[in-house]
Amino acid sequence: MDGIWLLLVRMSDAIFGALNSLTGRSWLFDTIVAMPIDNNLVKAGPIGACFVYAWWSGRDAEQTRKRRASLLVTIGSLLFVMGATKTLSHEFFLPRPFVQSQATWHLDETRLVEGKKLHYRAPVSGTTHARYEAMKRGDIEQNDLVSFPSDHAGFFVALSLGIFFASRRAGAVALAWTFVAILLSRIATGMHSPLDIAAGATIGAAIMTVIQLAARRGGRWALEPIAAWTTRHEALAAALLFFVAVEWTSVLTNVRELASTASEILSALSGRM
Amino acid sequence: MRAPLFLAAALALSACGGLDQRGIVMPLEEGWAAEVVATERDGFGSPDGLLWEGGMLYVADEGGHAVRAWQPGKKPATLADAKAGLASPEDLVRDGQGNLYFSDDTRGGVWRIDPSGRTSALASPDKGLPSTEGIGLTPGGDILVGDGKNHRVMRVTQAGEVSVLLGPERGIGKPESFAFDDRGNLYIADNHDDVLYVLTPDGTLHRAIEKREGFSPESLRFAGGQLLITDSHHGKLFRYTPEDGLSVVALLAGELANVQGIAADDKGNLYLSVQSDLHHNKGFILRLYRKPARP
Repeated sequence: MDGIWLLLVRMSDAIFGALNSLTGRSWLFDTIVAMPIDNNLVKAGPIGACFVYAWWSGRDAEQTRKRRASLLVTIGSLLFVMGATKTLSHEFFLPRPFVQSQATWHLDETRLVEGKKLHYRAPVSGTTHARYEAMKRGDIEQNDLVSFPSDHAGFFVALSLGIFFASRRAGAVALAWTFVAILLSRIATGMHSPLDIAAGATIGAAIMTVIQLAARRGGRWALEPIAAWTTRHEALAAALLFFVAVEWTSVLTNVRELASTASEILSALSGRM
Repeated sequence: MRAPLFLAAALALSACGGLDQRGIVMPLEEGWAAEVVATERDGFGSPDGLLWEGGMLYVADEGGHAVRAWQPGKKPATLADAKAGLASPEDLVRDGQGNLYFSDDTRGGVWRIDPSGRTSALASPDKGLPSTEGIGLTPGGDILVGDGKNHRVMRVTQAGEVSVLLGPERGIGKPESFAFDDRGNLYIADNHDDVLYVLTPDGTLHRAIEKREGFSPESLRFAGGQLLITDSHHGKLFRYTPEDGLSVVALLAGELANVQGIAADDKGNLYLSVQSDLHHNKGFILRLYRKPARP
């Protein structure tokens, strides 16, 4: 088991070293690379566009219903993907690569073991640059310490794959954008290691595939009437779709915050009763 | 399509076996190294206040309901425990005669272990000390103790007389720790309102640090003319001087984030207590030391 782990870590470090070596040299390059991290429109806009394209681009009414049924499954599956990646990231303690570039001592059972310092070139602009500089001053965000697996990789790979299940053309574009813009930028800037990304992507792809296949086999009775409803009430369906798509830009952060607030309200109310 | 996905998932999950790190220490000042010197397996529960005196580390073992003395490399000796009525020993201080005083935030009161090893109440909880937090020794030999429930700093004489030094009107939320500098200024950590106070010898109370993002002082210790501050809320060890301000010495995260007490030995090594899980009696004592320079 340790052998597999070491091999994966070595491969991950080699890929990370190659991609990260491109940053920290040019403000222009770093700014462009940071855009999918810093700007939600750049990050999620093209994926949302692919989803909307897949939603509307059925050849006929029958294909449109099928595509929409698949896309509805995609929306539901994303909650499971986020749940899985967030749960796992609380189980495994692996800081972001830019944190691993510092001298660190890791707790291994009851010993502190000096960690291997990861060679890291900090970008000269963007969020990662700001977070790296803040870390050196002692300000570190909690989620900079638990980057495995990448929830962005899980979420956007799952979403793009879900689009792919509905429309090969739109899905291929979404997958390409996810891979090139969202995932590579996170590796190059040191937000995630290739291992974080690979684990997140695997979880996202596995959950999406399993749920999509299960839904195709046993969920038609529920999905097709909903899909048919969206064709009968296009305006309302489009409004709801907009509402959902807006949330993708934040990778369901607002939904999680709302759930947390709702939980606090319920606790407060139950405490009074 | 399914087979490669399941294979990749199995590989990823099997690889997770290598992710057994549970916490980190990250020194932000050059030259520091870190090690675990004791855990619950060495006879400590979940340690809180620390004090280094005469080659000995004294530990307020909150999780273990005991006060212990420990010489690195040896088994800890229990000086007092639940049999003597200890519930949650919080902080400790020692006078020149070898008396060890400690606070107890569950039971309250100020307690003394004399050089013969006898434990007694210097001031019992019913003297207006229902829950005691930080403890300090004035240059005159009185004991100062924080009363978190009533937001006061109390003075206890060697005769056991209790009086209010700073009442709730002075605005201190929870006096968690005390440290005197060599000019007689008393530093007070308030980890309820996240303020570092300074009480000057003329009785003026200043707010040295307040409303600082990522700062909540837990324990204070003067070493080498500088104030060292632990922060259990943010997993940090700070250094402070009025001239240079506040800087981070080290970050602690994961199971090591809940850093409580601090002590400094004669060589400049720093000891930190960490409560990983107070209810399950899990904790660590860490040592930060200067790495030997490479030849």
